[in-house]
Amino acid sequence: MRKTFVALTAMALVGSAVMFAVGPRLAGAQGGGTVEVEVKYNGAPQVEKLKVNKDTEKCGQEATIEKVVVGSNKGLANAVASAPNAKGAKPIKAVVDQHGCKFVPHVSVMAPGEMELKNSDDILHNIHTYSTANPAINKAQPKFKKTMTEKFEKPEMIKLTCDVHSWMLGWLAVVPGIAAVTDTNGVAKLENVPAGKQKIEVWHETLGKQDKEVDVKAGQTTKVSFEMKGK
Amino acid sequence: MPRTNRSGGPCGSPRTPPSPLDRTFGSIGLAFFAVVFTAAPAWAQDANAGKVVYERKCVGCHGEKGDGKGAAAELLLPKPRDFTKGLFKIRSTANKTPTDQDLFRIVSDGMPGTSMPPWEVLPERDRRNVVAYIKTFAPEAFKEPPKKLELPKEVGSSEASIKRGKEMFEAIECHKCHGTEGRADGPSHPELKDEWGNPVAPANLTKRWNFRGGRSRTEIATRIANGVLGTPMPAFLEAVEKPEDIWHLTNYIVSLGPDSPQPATLVTVSSVKDAIPDDPAADFWKKITPNNILLEGQVIVDPRNFNPAIDLVSVRAVYNDKEIAFHLTWDDPSETKGDGKTTFPDAISLQFAPQQPTGTERPYFLMGDATDGVYLLRWEQGKGVGELSAHGPTKLAAIPGGEASGKAVFKNGQYALVMKRSLAATGTERPSFRPRVFTPVAFQAWEGGAGESGPKMSLTSWYYLRLEEPQSNRRFFIPPAVALLTFAVLGLIVRAARSRAVQ
Repeated sequence: MRKTFVALTAMALVGSAVMFAVGPRLAGAQGGGTVEVEVKYNGAPQVEKLKVNKDTEKCGQEATIEKVVVGSNKGLANAVASAPNAKGAKPIKAVVDQHGCKFVPHVSVMAPGEMELKNSDDILHNIHTYSTANPAINKAQPKFKKTMTEKFEKPEMIKLTCDVHSWMLGWLAVVPGIAAVTDTNGVAKLENVPAGKQKIEVWHETLGKQDKEVDVKAGQTTKVSFEMKGK
Repeated sequence: MPRTNRSGGPCGSPRTPPSPLDRTFGSIGLAFFAVVFTAAPAWAQDANAGKVVYERKCVGCHGEKGDGKGAAAELLLPKPRDFTKGLFKIRSTANKTPTDQDLFRIVSDGMPGTSMPPWEVLPERDRRNVVAYIKTFAPEAFKEPPKKLELPKEVGSSEASIKRGKEMFEAIECHKCHGTEGRADGPSHPELKDEWGNPVAPANLTKRWNFRGGRSRTEIATRIANGVLGTPMPAFLEAVEKPEDIWHLTNYIVSLGPDSPQPATLVTVSSVKDAIPDDPAADFWKKITPNNILLEGQVIVDPRNFNPAIDLVSVRAVYNDKEIAFHLTWDDPSETKGDGKTTFPDAISLQFAPQQPTGTERPYFLMGDATDGVYLLRWEQGKGVGELSAHGPTKLAAIPGGEASGKAVFKNGQYALVMKRSLAATGTERPSFRPRVFTPVAFQAWEGGAGESGPKMSLTSWYYLRLEEPQSNRRFFIPPAVALLTFAVLGLIVRAARSRAVQ
């Protein structure tokens, strides 16, 4: 009995020492677990259509404003899932393309730092951010300016608009830690999340924010489900 | 040093020059105050005095909390600035913090084309204090010090520079909002909103005197380079091919219109011998000197028009032995027939007294009244030209037997219209036009696309119209005839003198 206790204590000590020593590296590589975040929404999709009255050769005849996109099995697309406190994540550099008079992707995630903004449309766009924590920018991106680099250093959900084409709307999620955007099934996979208790956050442009605590196990996939409520 | 010598008080009561003794005590006092007040931040002192000025002069529009929600705000467009966001349109800086001088200039000079008047009437000290107070509404926004914007090296205006500017104007698609000829009629103009969600109009680049941030070349270059914060106008400093393109664009914009509206005080009607063309685009009209008439919003009767869309009409007027014709041009961002609910037909009218007044009495300028009506020569989108009689801005009636004609053309954000009528008229409701007589005339215009109709219009008070002397051929005959006659008489005298000498 006493031996067992000693052995257990020793193992625990050694174990935690090992974890402590190699922990950060492991967390960034193979030591973490995967969190599969599933976001559901019971309400109806909100997609508005608008007749385009200019640049139709590039923008098409109809613009789609995707406020709430619900896929199969009530999965909510375009939600940002993140483990904001997960340390040692690989920085993600976002690339947002103004293509077909849309921000592609509609929602991008990035680690604080630089991002790339493209214009593949061969017409004038402008990038107008509604940022408050980061400096707000409103810069023209004429057809010959194919790429621009912008800096967003502080965590923030930034609304992107183009004033030339008023229907254009995008979001740039500047998130520390590990983050991903849900697909059309409402699923986002957060890879290499350090084992242990992690706060998982979900944010959606129309439906708001939720968070849950999840116990992440190394080498395993932990599922967590969110149900967003209509506003 | 903090400004402590406020003997005038916030109301600026008259001061008497201090006596030498006062001055001595004054200096001691000043030294004392300087010691006491340097402990507190200098702006805090100014801001307290600024609050008093603000609450007397600014609160009506900008609101007590500085949120732009003063009592008058709902009537105004553009909306009064919401200071709590710390976003300022006009700045000379590379970041979003304006300099105190930027704010001081707007307070002093106002914002042309908006409801913000120049406050130069206030003492400079009051204006500086008010700037300090405005900053207290968004202290966070002023934490980052202003960073001076470095403009590219200035390029003077030349034909080549203007040409390059035009190329750049097209390449960076300024026309998307500002229109092909700069008249604020670009395809994106109807949907533009500011960061508060209020509709905002692009600048009409042909009317430089209305530029919110000033009309000087440096100011224009700064707006292009920097954008206009909080509005859809983006920064172009990094979005032109070469940095100096900012100046080529500036030179091109300056070439689009005059520096000032050059208003006329009298409408001169030129006498012509030829037939007068109906087509407003005919070369004939280009030879006639325009008279620029400034219009104001109608704010006497409801519904009032506090934000008139049409502020200028250019009038070219001619007559021949049969007809009188008016060629009018005015800017309007969209040709509107109207849905009858929020938009209405675009329209314009010339107003005369029904009969040429004999004295100085004229009908009430606001389209007459119940007893004294006015005669209108009016064009309306979808209806064309007509002759009407009005007894007030809502009591209009077509005159039976009216025979006016005309044609309107809309192109690139501008209407050009010709209205014609016979010189002489019959009946009591229609005036006849006679040369050399000062005839009262007034103007009204409606931008239906902006919801203007009925009393909601732009208008002028009475102006005068004068038909030039008829140009007859007599000037070619009379002087030679007089010369010939003189010679003949001289000849006769000489002959008589000679014959007398011979006798």
